[in-house]
Amino acid sequence: MKYYVLIVLLVFMCFGFAQKCDDVFLGELRDFHDNTPLNGATVFIKNLNKYVASDERGKFKIENLCKGELILVISHIGCETKRITFNIDGDMFQNIALEHHIEELNEVSIAATVERKETKTSQETIIKSETLKRYSNLSVGDALKEVPGVSSINTGSTIVKPMINGLHSSRVLIMNNGVRLQDQEWGIEHAPNIDVNIANQISVIKGSGALAYGGDAVGGVVVINPKRIIRLDTIYGRTLIGGQTNGRGYNITSTLNKNFSSGWFAEIQGSSKRNGDLKAPNYTLTNTGLDSKGVSARLGKLNFESGFEIYYSFLDNEIGILGASHIGSVFDLERAINSGQPFLVEDFSYEINAPKQEITHHLAKLNYYKRYKNFGRLKLQYDYQHNQRLEFDVRIGDRREIPAIDLTLQTHSILADVNLDSNLNRKINFGVIGRFQDNFANPDTGVRRLIPDYNKYDFGIYTTVEYVVNNRLIADAGLRYDFNRIDAKKFYRKSRWDERGYDEDFSDIIIDETPTQYLTNPVFDYHNISASAGINYSINESQQMLLNYSLASRPPNVAELFSDGLHHSAARFELGDIRFDQEISNRISASYIYSTSKLNLSTEIFYNNIRDFIYLRPFDFISTARGPFPLWEYQQTDAELFGIDLTINYNLTDNWQFVNKTAYLKGNDLGTDMAIIDIPPFNTTNQITYNNESWNNFSASLKSEWVFKQRDFPDFNFEVEDELNEEMILVDISSPPPSYHLLHFYSEATFILSEKTNLNISLGVNNLLNAAYRNYLNRLRFYADELGRNITLQLQLNY
Amino acid sequence: MKITYLNLNSMKSTKFFMSAIICLALTNTFTSCSDDDDPDPVLEEEFITNLTLTFTNTADATDAVVLFSTAPDGFEDGTSTENILGTFTAGATYSLSLEILNEQEDPADDVLNDDIIPEADEHFFAYAVNGINLTMTRDASDVAGPDGSKLGVNTTWVAGAISNGNLQIRLIHEPTTVDDSDEFGSATGGSEDFNITWTGVVIL
Repeated sequence: MKYYVLIVLLVFMCFGFAQKCDDVFLGELRDFHDNTPLNGATVFIKNLNKYVASDERGKFKIENLCKGELILVISHIGCETKRITFNIDGDMFQNIALEHHIEELNEVSIAATVERKETKTSQETIIKSETLKRYSNLSVGDALKEVPGVSSINTGSTIVKPMINGLHSSRVLIMNNGVRLQDQEWGIEHAPNIDVNIANQISVIKGSGALAYGGDAVGGVVVINPKRIIRLDTIYGRTLIGGQTNGRGYNITSTLNKNFSSGWFAEIQGSSKRNGDLKAPNYTLTNTGLDSKGVSARLGKLNFESGFEIYYSFLDNEIGILGASHIGSVFDLERAINSGQPFLVEDFSYEINAPKQEITHHLAKLNYYKRYKNFGRLKLQYDYQHNQRLEFDVRIGDRREIPAIDLTLQTHSILADVNLDSNLNRKINFGVIGRFQDNFANPDTGVRRLIPDYNKYDFGIYTTVEYVVNNRLIADAGLRYDFNRIDAKKFYRKSRWDERGYDEDFSDIIIDETPTQYLTNPVFDYHNISASAGINYSINESQQMLLNYSLASRPPNVAELFSDGLHHSAARFELGDIRFDQEISNRISASYIYSTSKLNLSTEIFYNNIRDFIYLRPFDFISTARGPFPLWEYQQTDAELFGIDLTINYNLTDNWQFVNKTAYLKGNDLGTDMAIIDIPPFNTTNQITYNNESWNNFSASLKSEWVFKQRDFPDFNFEVEDELNEEMILVDISSPPPSYHLLHFYSEATFILSEKTNLNISLGVNNLLNAAYRNYLNRLRFYADELGRNITLQLQLNY
Repeated sequence: MKITYLNLNSMKSTKFFMSAIICLALTNTFTSCSDDDDPDPVLEEEFITNLTLTFTNTADATDAVVLFSTAPDGFEDGTSTENILGTFTAGATYSLSLEILNEQEDPADDVLNDDIIPEADEHFFAYAVNGINLTMTRDASDVAGPDGSKLGVNTTWVAGAISNGNLQIRLIHEPTTVDDSDEFGSATGGSEDFNITWTGVVIL
């Protein structure tokens, strides 16, 4: 009996284990972007070790499949091979999409030196990492001067603010890896808080054509991007060590990247930079030391269909300001201007004392994107910034260690951006952004707040279209609306309130009072419309023309509205006006580019008309118990700027190259018919380079820099009375310094150490002839000369 | 035959994201991440609003010259106005007494006796005249200043021949060096807490 049961059981078990392999798999292959069927794709069935091809409708059929896992590896010309696993449990029909755009494959290309421009019809110049490494020991503002038409407004040599076609501060937007920098940029002595070493590529866009970044870029936009991620299993990085003779400075920066083919990536980067007192040809510039430290990290996963990134960066700067520039009175200023020498010159030291700035900046970003078939890509981003700025003046007694300015600025932004690029000939982009900002001015400084506590709310919505008309002509246009609300709480001295006549229009903003002050709550709303339209026309293979018109609208910043007090270290009063309207800029530009293998020529011309242009000028005096102080008032006028920027790159032979960069700019105040203050004078640089690839890629270049004397400047000179001696003293703050010529030398070579490692050594000498000169765009030009000779040696290991 | 369809919920996800964005964008305009308390006014130290120089004739107490300087918003950065009461008598000797107050406080803060004299080694008064025949000496009883000098609080003035001109007083805080050998006094470095000149001072 037992045997019979066993046999029956075995028979049943046989039936149970017998696999019925008759399932069918029907697949349909389509292009992800435009849903066209993929004909002739190869489908490799791993389980069966068999190949099958898709037909002209993208369909393929696999028969006699067993239940369980089915692994397919699908490939097609121009597509990335896709591996998919399915679980077969009966007949199955699947739509499978393959990514089929060659242009998009640039994201996964290795060692691609493709220049990815941000805009198509704006005047945009890209500075690449090979050039940026020369500025590793300097600042972003210095690196940007590689572009003709871009200069800087400085407070000494270590505080460098980029200036695009004569415009700076709130008129220049800076983007750090997709985050708009919010770091009290309204201040003329506030350099951008960004470590130049995090940048792999910087795009400088003149004008406001890049509407996605903002509608208020009256001057332009600087877009700083880190290295693009490649989807390969690889680990790479670089370490750079440098030293400079001027200021006995040293700097080190290191980056390490790990990428995975699955799309995961991680990057960590750090920099440290230090120099002591810098030196002009004839004396030490006492108290110009700098101590800067930064760290940044990125982590995320990037796939074609979706991805995310977490980014964090931290920067800590301690910047000494020339000791001789601290003045207590306008008489000190006059003495400084007339003596021609700084009154305070001490031996070299690394110590940084007052006057100085201490700034920390945290930036964190989280973004996510997803691509949808037949639609496009959606990106979501949240970013947060925390900026704390302490400015120390030379102070007496107990207040010696207390800063005179203590501002904490926090900004939250959230944005959503959609790119509709399923049709490559007509790309549409639209997005919304919301931002909240909080500024806290600490009263513990014991100094009346230069700018008040405020909350700022921004909302923006934009759309841009890029239309490929034919293979020669691309047109683009954009429109943007921004709403800004500023809600401040500010103390006004009753005497100032009456003097400004605010009682007539603003008595309703007073919320409290003390015996001598009113506490007010101004809340201002601004509605801004900005737009841009342009064409990019290829005349023929070697000639190209760009035309662009853009409209930008910039609301007044907090300094322009609320400045109200003595700027101690500058010995001047600064006064804003809450009646200001926003600036409206209409800018037209044209560029002509001629490009052959021997010669590259680029001419950029623009005209910018700015209605309600805001600027600061000395206007009157305040007679205080400490003497007379000039009163600088913000003014609103109509202005126009016009300029031409030229670049010529000529390859004399295979080894010799000549480069010329020239910029000419004119700025007029249409209201007063005077020139605008701080317009960069005409400048031209000529550079000759020898390079020889067979000598370890050696190159040496000599650059001649000519900066002419600015002859168009407003006369803001004033006279002040020395009451004791009954003398009128002329204070000449307007006359620009004479023209100057500098010679610079640079050479480098790259030694290949192994397949993936190379060592780049560079030697540079700035101001080779140790010429003594002053720069009109340096606010400290009254007190001391610019830097003398500086020899820099840098070693960069790439691995 | 079973047919399984892959569920592509792309349109649903898009709608979700769009509403999420708009939601977040709107909430941003209404929420405020900081406290809405009013800010505190800044407390400025060593705040001065009034300076009075009283010259009293040592032989006749009714003969006095008073020089005023007032700045209701403070000496640091407020507008100041100067006034003169009386004229000097030629040949007479005067004793000068100083009064430095902060009248924004009630009762008024005596800055001279509460802040300056206790820190006498960090302060120095320097005087100057132009056009007017006045000479001065720092009294033997004067408060000791920095580096063995005399602070300049207790001083005696002699009016010479009939003349008129300007008189200046400066208060230097933390001077680098001081020199009172010419009695009027001079200093280098430091920072001026005030520098006031009266014009049209008269000796009759």
